Amino acid sequence: MRNAWRVAAFDVAAPLAAIAALVYMGFAMAWPLWWVSVCSILCVLIVEGVIVNVVLARRDAVTVGTDDDGPGLRLAVAAVTTVALAAAVVIGYLKWTVPDRNLRNDTDEVVGIASSVAEASATFTPQSPTESIDRVTAMMAPQSAEAFKNEFSAVAKELTSRNVSAQASTVSAGVEAIGPTAASVAVVMRGTQNSPGKPPDTAVLALRVQLSQQDGHWLVDDVSPIHSR
Amino acid sequence: MPPGSLTRMPDDEPTPDHDGDDGRVVTSYGIASAVLGVLAVAAVALAALIWTQHRSDEDELQYRTRVMQTAADWTGVLVNMNKDTVEASMVKLHEGTVGQLNADFDASVEPYRELVQTLQSRTTGQVDSVAVETIHHEQQGAAPRQEQPELAAFAARTDTVMVVATSISENAGGDKPRTVRWTLRLDVSDVDGKLLISRLEPIR
Repeated sequence: MRNAWRVAAFDVAAPLAAIAALVYMGFAMAWPLWWVSVCSILCVLIVEGVIVNVVLARRDAVTVGTDDDGPGLRLAVAAVTTVALAAAVVIGYLKWTVPDRNLRNDTDEVVGIASSVAEASATFTPQSPTESIDRVTAMMAPQSAEAFKNEFSAVAKELTSRNVSAQASTVSAGVEAIGPTAASVAVVMRGTQNSPGKPPDTAVLALRVQLSQQDGHWLVDDVSPIHSR
Repeated sequence: MPPGSLTRMPDDEPTPDHDGDDGRVVTSYGIASAVLGVLAVAAVALAALIWTQHRSDEDELQYRTRVMQTAADWTGVLVNMNKDTVEASMVKLHEGTVGQLNADFDASVEPYRELVQTLQSRTTGQVDSVAVETIHHEQQGAAPRQEQPELAAFAARTDTVMVVATSISENAGGDKPRTVRWTLRLDVSDVDGKLLISRLEPIR
């Protein structure tokens, strides 16, 4: 009975677990060429070891698992298997769990940034014409901020001269596409323009906000209307 | 050597014939192997957990892609209705709906049907953007969302998708082409693996 357990654990389960761990790491790393090579070599070595074990068991009627004179080899088998399994856990965690979690967190963060940038870009008060532009550019990448500022300073001047004020509030926002370093978010807002002597004018604005991740921070690259015309 | 640190030599162990004998002493090799075995089992459990978690995350992303595709296809039909194809399009749209929207389909899409029929135009539309909603604010002054308890009973889940589309209608009379900008909110429900639209809400 005890020998059956030892055979099951050391002669059968251990090599199978080691091979499974190697293959698991391969899937987690999406099979890079070097791992295909390393994994094949190691798997062949393991299979060879198993064959030798079976042949010697037929000759001597004792296996690695049941040999009372070889506890060191048994311990080595257990150690190698455990190391392989532990490595599989670490690789799986780094290649699957961490990126998945980052993607989830990024999705929430990116939509929040996009929503506030879009609202700020559709907000204007003649008393402080640059306030909302500054709020937008603070969240932008430096080179895009410059272009955005130039583009909007003309509009700002015109709105100031007509004494128009505008507000916008997000109705709906969601991620169109997201990757580890870039994202595109669609924001639908209701904008209201107030100009003196006229009833307030409301309109639905749909903006696409493009972001990219730089040094761990999401920065806005571009804000553009979604409607194709 | 201090007492207690001595390990039995393997040949001191009882012969295997005495299986289950209480007299057997576990060697330090045996203890180390047992510890490693426990670690290995724990690693297997963790690896399985990591894998299932990853699979479910992956499935979720794929499901969202399908939801967005469904919403885009449905809206594509809606914004491309011509006076000649309006009836066929209506049937197609109706087939893609479920729940309250399916029951009140004619009333819900009446404004769009009228628009197409009065314009007597050739319309070409394009879907500009589709996204699963992450931020949702109720529209001011709009009727509060009606819950659909009967839908919840047979739909596995329902996601809200925002769709932005543009359509251009060229009138027969040679007037200037008319541009219609669409901003819609669609609920997409999973009914027995089939994705169907269960709510249509224009954002105004």
